[in-house]
Amino acid sequence: MDAGTLLHALNVAYALATLALTTLGLAVVFGLLGVMNMAHGEFVMIGTYAVVTVQQWGWPLATAFPLALLTCAALGYAVERWLIRPLYQRPFDTLLATWALAMLLRKLVEAVYGKGYRNVESDLGAPLSFWGTQYPAYRLALIVLAIVLMVGLALWYRRSAAGLRVRAMTGNPVLAQALGIDTRRLASQAFVVGVVLAGAAGVLLAPLVRIEPGIGIDYLLDAFFVLVVGGLGTLGGFAGGVGVIGGSQAVVSSLFGQTSGYAVVLILAILFLWLKPDGLFARR
Amino acid sequence: MDRRSFLQSTAAATALVAARHAFAADALKVAVMIPQSGPAGLFGPSTQACAELAAETINARGGILGRRIEPMFGDAGLAPAEASQAALRLWKGAGAQVVLGMHDSAVRGALVGLFKAQLPYFYTPVYEGGECARGTYVNGETPQQQLAPVIPWIAAERKPKKWYMIGNDYVWGRSTNAAAKGFIEKTGAQVVGDEYLPFTADNFDSSLARIRDSGADAVLVSLVGGASVTFNKAFASFGLTEKALRLGTLIEENTLAGIGAANARNLYSSAGYFANIATPAAQAFAEAYAKRFGAQAPALNGLAESAYEGFLMLEAVAKKAGSLDVAKLDAACEGASYKGPRGSVTMRARHVEQDIYVADVGDKGFRVVKTFPHVASGQICKA
Repeated sequence: MDAGTLLHALNVAYALATLALTTLGLAVVFGLLGVMNMAHGEFVMIGTYAVVTVQQWGWPLATAFPLALLTCAALGYAVERWLIRPLYQRPFDTLLATWALAMLLRKLVEAVYGKGYRNVESDLGAPLSFWGTQYPAYRLALIVLAIVLMVGLALWYRRSAAGLRVRAMTGNPVLAQALGIDTRRLASQAFVVGVVLAGAAGVLLAPLVRIEPGIGIDYLLDAFFVLVVGGLGTLGGFAGGVGVIGGSQAVVSSLFGQTSGYAVVLILAILFLWLKPDGLFARR
Repeated sequence: MDRRSFLQSTAAATALVAARHAFAADALKVAVMIPQSGPAGLFGPSTQACAELAAETINARGGILGRRIEPMFGDAGLAPAEASQAALRLWKGAGAQVVLGMHDSAVRGALVGLFKAQLPYFYTPVYEGGECARGTYVNGETPQQQLAPVIPWIAAERKPKKWYMIGNDYVWGRSTNAAAKGFIEKTGAQVVGDEYLPFTADNFDSSLARIRDSGADAVLVSLVGGASVTFNKAFASFGLTEKALRLGTLIEENTLAGIGAANARNLYSSAGYFANIATPAAQAFAEAYAKRFGAQAPALNGLAESAYEGFLMLEAVAKKAGSLDVAKLDAACEGASYKGPRGSVTMRARHVEQDIYVADVGDKGFRVVKTFPHVASGQICKA
């Protein structure tokens, strides 16, 4: 493989890895609870601001992780308890409520940190030279991490008792409750896990991306397209959605330019909604 | 204006607020259209502060034609039709007699059509050039102004042979790069590629691969705001900072804060203003700004400061015309001149001749490395 091809392959892998990281949380919440969390991107944004905050305080950057996890978990618990729970089975109302939540979170961050761009000073972005090309070492680490995370999650979902309970709940909530599974607690946990995953993705991406209060919408849109293509509630569908959306955008962009790449994603999303509304791997 | 007279006049501003009766009975209401929302909303607070400081400073030395300036702010961060509505309310509703705008070109087009030269309109931010409507007075830097002296200077200093041009896909990005192409070819260098990206672009990997493959040793960055931040960060992370220098004409203090100084090696910015220009007038302005708005003041930048320049130009043109009538202002504006934070500024063809500064980036932000005095705007509007 020559250096140019390797660079393009790594770029595609990176695009897929970041898309998987930022979408996973939404897939968990949407797939398990049927809740379209429009504030998903804002939790990614909060993750990036956790890094900005620890940097301001002069703490080591790694401490952004616990800070983001705690903040997102607390927010996620409160949101599920007082905003989402009264609205289960009312998908449109949930959509509006979480959209309002997104605006509220955005404005809160604006009020505290201002509208300006922030930057995370770190040498993590530094390039690494190998096989005749240069690639940021941190991006390679993210690609590996995304793969490990996906495989780990798949194993957990298939093998563990908790995974079994989650599958029981999504398969038939009434029956699961009758069997003594505390579906309410499980739902709360699933939501918290979803937004914590979003926050963690924000922390991981902070050294590489633009940071300002409005970035959430970018992550929400991409995540939404992935779910449209992949369908709900299966890891295979999720992986397929990431592959189709991220892969086609990255490949078409590098061949024909960004505008074409973006157009292809939109066309794919429309085609899938029209022809395969349940996604690649429909559960039904 | 030297620093002492500047500070004195600013101090006097406070005293004069108590002595309003010194002015003619009716205040001069100036509609100031600035982005209070939307993607450019980031520049709202600093622009408003600069406009307020300008009004206070001019009021302290007697106002405009003996009338006290009363600024009224409208949101220009909206779609052009809605921004026009906001301007119309300030004009017809609240009685504004002059409009000053620091906003994008789409809104400018709508406002020029709305006003139809019935009231004077001072347009202040950096823009792509070409606005020749009557009654419209442009203070902002044009691509010709920011590039004509700078590209030959970079050619002499750094000797790049191959330029790559990247920009956002709209009138400013394309006009800037089109102007640059001529200047680049005149230096004997070659343009090896140009591309234009939608505002939604947030992944520049494919562009960076093309830049790398093109062997470019200089890149003209005509991306705006967030796109510029993301592009420049990724540019550094791919190790391109040592391979190619970067030049931008809209990389101001906020954009640089997002990029980070560590990612800005071999990055040049060309503009009519930087917050840390070392001339006495610029320093006096920065001191007055800090004194007036305190430690929490929104950071100074070239876009915000342009609103201050717009007021100084209004003062100069109105004084020369002795009136606020558009026909008289149009007749008098040629050659109207003032000395402000940017240096000496003179109106030609309803655009301005002004100093252009080139900065590179050190640990503490921009460092002005070269000043070109009295650069022409390159615009030829018929009188």
